[in-house]
Amino acid sequence: MNELLRRANAAPVTFLCALAYVTVAVLTFADTEPAIKLQNAGLMTPALVASGESWRLLTHAFLHGGIVHLLFNLSALMWIGPMLEHSLGSVRFAVLYAVTAVGAGVAVCLWADPRQAVVGGSGALFGMMGAAVAMNMRGGRDLLSFLDFQGPRQLLSLIAVNLVIGWLLPMVSNTAHIGGLLTGFLLTFFGFDPGRGPATAFTRALRAGVAALFVSLCCWCLWPVTRWDWLLRAATTTAEPARQQLLFEAAQRSGLPAPGRPDPDQGTEPDPPPPRRGR
Amino acid sequence: MFRWTLVAAVWAVALWPLVLFLVYLGSPVAAVQLRQQAASWLQTAALAGAALLVIGLLLYPPVAAGLRLLGARVLAALRADRGPLLRALGELRHVETAARHGEVGRLALQRRELPLAIAHLSRALELEPENPGLRYQLGMALLAAGRMREAAGCLQQVVAADPGHAFGEALLQLGRVHLLLGDDQGAVALLRRHALEHGGSRRSHFWLASACRAAADPDGARAALQYAASPPAKNQRLTPEEGLYRARARVALWRTGAGK
Repeated sequence: MNELLRRANAAPVTFLCALAYVTVAVLTFADTEPAIKLQNAGLMTPALVASGESWRLLTHAFLHGGIVHLLFNLSALMWIGPMLEHSLGSVRFAVLYAVTAVGAGVAVCLWADPRQAVVGGSGALFGMMGAAVAMNMRGGRDLLSFLDFQGPRQLLSLIAVNLVIGWLLPMVSNTAHIGGLLTGFLLTFFGFDPGRGPATAFTRALRAGVAALFVSLCCWCLWPVTRWDWLLRAATTTAEPARQQLLFEAAQRSGLPAPGRPDPDQGTEPDPPPPRRGR
Repeated sequence: MFRWTLVAAVWAVALWPLVLFLVYLGSPVAAVQLRQQAASWLQTAALAGAALLVIGLLLYPPVAAGLRLLGARVLAALRADRGPLLRALGELRHVETAARHGEVGRLALQRRELPLAIAHLSRALELEPENPGLRYQLGMALLAAGRMREAAGCLQQVVAADPGHAFGEALLQLGRVHLLLGDDQGAVALLRRHALEHGGSRRSHFWLASACRAAADPDGARAALQYAASPPAKNQRLTPEEGLYRARARVALWRTGAGK
């Protein structure tokens, strides 16, 4: 117990995340209808995010779809989290977890079906691996000198193997993994560990561009003005008939699914696909 | 150029949602159409680019050689460390010497930070005007910055003071500068002298061929191109730059009808 407390004291944010994983899992798995419980607790679908529930971009990273899913992510968190928290510091690590979880959610909002449900912290875990790669790149004599060492090479292999597994398993959302990975890498490379010496004009412009890109994509997830689900919702809430007609037409042009095509007077949506999760 | 293209691309992607939102305010249908049109254009451009790349790789030798050179340069850029340059700049705060300015200039030139390189190499030459090494570095920095006449002056002084400087590279670059300035006869003379004294390379013979062609000497141009296009010896692997010049020489030979 003392050893556990000592380790928790050394990496408090990691242990808080782990505690949150377990607590939320106990609350959701204990329910007779875990799917509804997951939805209430913070499961993410692009359509829900676009309808104003933006907090789901973050909360989905603390929910898990089953005991195996939970154990897998928990072990990965306890493996990489303490190391990274020790290197970055607790505050930066917390920011990294939150931003990479949002980055994973943003990637899903951009590329997945609007009704696709996503749960799991694996996007943020991939973000941590991306951050570790960025720190290795920044820490060496030059950006590629880390490849001379076995540890970082194994980390790259681990990322590649996990991405391949993600492609092979249909229930895994590799989009979230890639989104988290890129977000973690870019945040650490440009934000947390920007390299030695004063920044050049190019570096400043690129850093500002990456930040603007992240904010812009987050805004797109909240107001995806050319996605059929958002257009449909806008059509059902607008009072102006001409505008409503335009919005329905735009929704149809933007790929409104045919089987459950709604009646414009009722505004119902088609059936959603089955939920996806992390590893 | 490539770096700023990357910055522009990142900003363009960042502004794209805003553009769609502004169009949406006017007409939702137009916004959807714009997005679909952009996606279609992107898809077509990607397919066309991939097709051109495959055709180029199969039929046009400079494409493969150029890709190899691009890869080598990207790796070199990733391998470039700014630490030594910052250390050299830090050392200058204590004592100012020509050697320290020269080191800053050399490292800045390596990193293509040309204004910094030119400033420090110029100061180094003020402190030590007879140093051909510093003058050669300044000539190369001026050449990279496109200041041809000043570069020619520098390299001329280097060749006069030390004819074999940098294993003939100063002479070769002087010939190239003359070619770029339009002094074709002077370029031919300098590049021939380089070939005689230092043996030449595929790069130097490609430039010699260009100078001969400009000086209305087609036979000389063809002979130089044939040298530049010659295959490497067994077990010899050309550097990426030499490979690109060989590929370009092969294409130039095909164009002149002198065979493959």
